[in-house]
Amino acid sequence: MAALSQLKMNYMPGTASLIEDIDKKHLVLLRDGRTLIGFLRSIDQFANLVLHQTVERIHVGKKYGDIPRGIFVVRGENVVLLGEIDLEKESDTPLQQVSIEEILEEQRVEQQTKLENEKIKVQALKDRGLSIPRADTLDEY
Amino acid sequence: MTCLEGPHSNQGPDKSCGPMAPEEELVSSSQLEEEEEENEEEEEDLDPDLAPDLEEGVDEEEEDLGDPAILSAVTNTQRGLPSSPGIKASGALGMSPASLHFLWQTLDYLSPVPFRPTHPSTSSPVRHFGPRLLPPDPYVFCSPPTSWSPRFSLPSHLTQLHPQHQRILQLQQHSRTPRSPAKKPWSRQSDAYANLMTRKEKDWVIKVQMVQLQSEKPCLDDYYYQNYYQKLEKKEADQELLGQRSKVESLKLVTPYIQKAEAYESVVRFEGSLGQVAMSTCFSPRRAIDAVPHGTPEPEIGAASSQRLRVLSWIEKMFLQLLEIEEGKKNGPPQSCYSEQQRNQVEKLFQALKTQEQSNLEETADGFLQVLSVRKGKALVARLLPFLPRDLAVSLLLAVIHHLPLLVKRDAADQVLQMLFKPLGKYISHLTFHELLQGLQGLMLLPPGSSERPVTVVLQNQFGISLLYALLSHGAKLVSLDPSLEEPSSDHTAWTDIVILIAWEIAQMPTASLAEPLTFPSNLLPLFCRHVDKQLVQQLEATMQLAWIY
Repeated sequence: MAALSQLKMNYMPGTASLIEDIDKKHLVLLRDGRTLIGFLRSIDQFANLVLHQTVERIHVGKKYGDIPRGIFVVRGENVVLLGEIDLEKESDTPLQQVSIEEILEEQRVEQQTKLENEKIKVQALKDRGLSIPRADTLDEY
Repeated sequence: MTCLEGPHSNQGPDKSCGPMAPEEELVSSSQLEEEEEENEEEEEDLDPDLAPDLEEGVDEEEEDLGDPAILSAVTNTQRGLPSSPGIKASGALGMSPASLHFLWQTLDYLSPVPFRPTHPSTSSPVRHFGPRLLPPDPYVFCSPPTSWSPRFSLPSHLTQLHPQHQRILQLQQHSRTPRSPAKKPWSRQSDAYANLMTRKEKDWVIKVQMVQLQSEKPCLDDYYYQNYYQKLEKKEADQELLGQRSKVESLKLVTPYIQKAEAYESVVRFEGSLGQVAMSTCFSPRRAIDAVPHGTPEPEIGAASSQRLRVLSWIEKMFLQLLEIEEGKKNGPPQSCYSEQQRNQVEKLFQALKTQEQSNLEETADGFLQVLSVRKGKALVARLLPFLPRDLAVSLLLAVIHHLPLLVKRDAADQVLQMLFKPLGKYISHLTFHELLQGLQGLMLLPPGSSERPVTVVLQNQFGISLLYALLSHGAKLVSLDPSLEEPSSDHTAWTDIVILIAWEIAQMPTASLAEPLTFPSNLLPLFCRHVDKQLVQQLEATMQLAWIY
């Protein structure tokens, strides 16, 4: 059964289809910036995904941390891209894995520094009489 | 024959109806063997879209029993009635009646159906849906439970399958050899959660995706893929011919081919209106609107620009006709014999080209010239010429020769007239000597009030000089072939005069302005040698050689 499932199923040649990706490990990038890694178990015509043994991977600099999440059902429209992970080459990475607590701390720090920089920039612009409206902080008139 | 009643028919052989003979029971149980595992999965499957249920319901229909709602949906939609039960059922399925109809034709293609010659009845598509319940389907029995790679027999008549694809399917059916284990080492020992998505479910997803791809005219809707695949095929065929026995058969995406179902327009729209128009029907009797289109008066533009616009739009219309002719040639038989219809089309197009709705003979030539002055018009003529019968083509050629100086003057971009050379060149050899003489004489005439002959302009243009050389070469050939023309006659003197004049003109022209011809006929120099003195010939040789280095 395992050998047979390795068959190249060229059922819809000339198209991109997720059928051949089933039961393989994938990395999925979501629109909100999250990175999920899991086994693609099921799909549908909207490219909704069912990910099994999913892990949310947070990257900060050269470090990363994995948060085990279990089973994910992802609505298709929220997927930016996804790609198959080669199980052999998976461990061959220059990145360093750290514990969850550490990576979350790193992430918090990174976010903080980003916010501070942003604040300084906005202040500098304001001092010069410019205001660049940001998409998420638009004033409601 | 199996006797399956009600919607519970697929639940197992023990639940089949009583009055069945024991042998039949055995047969049916083995038939259902394959089905059982799938159907049991289905029952737990709370598929909101009811897709597997659709198949189930339709399977039962085959036996003339089954879920009444779906049944009525089936029959009603087949008749094209948008009646309420049909709509209800299809509404439950989330599809319109039309697409439901299409879905069945797709299911047709995708279900493992032994090919059966269909009855010309509306229920025939549905008959295809009950493959598993029919007496021995060898493919269902004999094939091991592989993954869902296509193990279909020849699909129904409604799908267009590429011959290679058909061969592939047949091959796969005949050779059920299991593939060698994958080259990539399977690092995980056994994925306990594998195949959570069953073959049926994968099939279903594919089905839905295929439904979205259906079209009546794949050559238009999917133009790029179809052309790409044709090129790929041709390349493979060539490779095979060359001896590369690799036999790479690339698969083609076959989208379900649909026939346009009779769709009535529920909403009537008039051009220019903003939305629906109030129509009186027997359910809503209202005053019918007077829908008479009033032609708006054309705004008066300048005569010249309007004339130009008229020519351009005329060219566009003729081009559309030409495209139809070419399409007919492409799709039809590959021989060069044209069907009656094609010949009529070509005739009509030629008349359109020549006349342009003008009665005067002067003006017809003028119209033709105007068409030729436009780049697209030249392309039109160049593409039309291969289709024309000989006499018409020759008349076009003569018209071109006659107006050659004018054409050359109007052809600002040099490259454009060139496209006419090849098609026209083919018909030069069909010219008679007399016609040739007439044409050439026209070029030699000194127009009143100018010292320059038209031929000088012609010599400076690549197309002109190529055409001229070709004509001269043809004339020389005719003279050499027909000894009667050698005798002194008005024709002969005229011919000699022309040759001498042209030779003189060529010699006169500075080399720089002499255009480079597309082809240089070999009998030109000997021709000049015969009629012109040595000095001139040497001069000519030098000039022509410089202009055309061969």
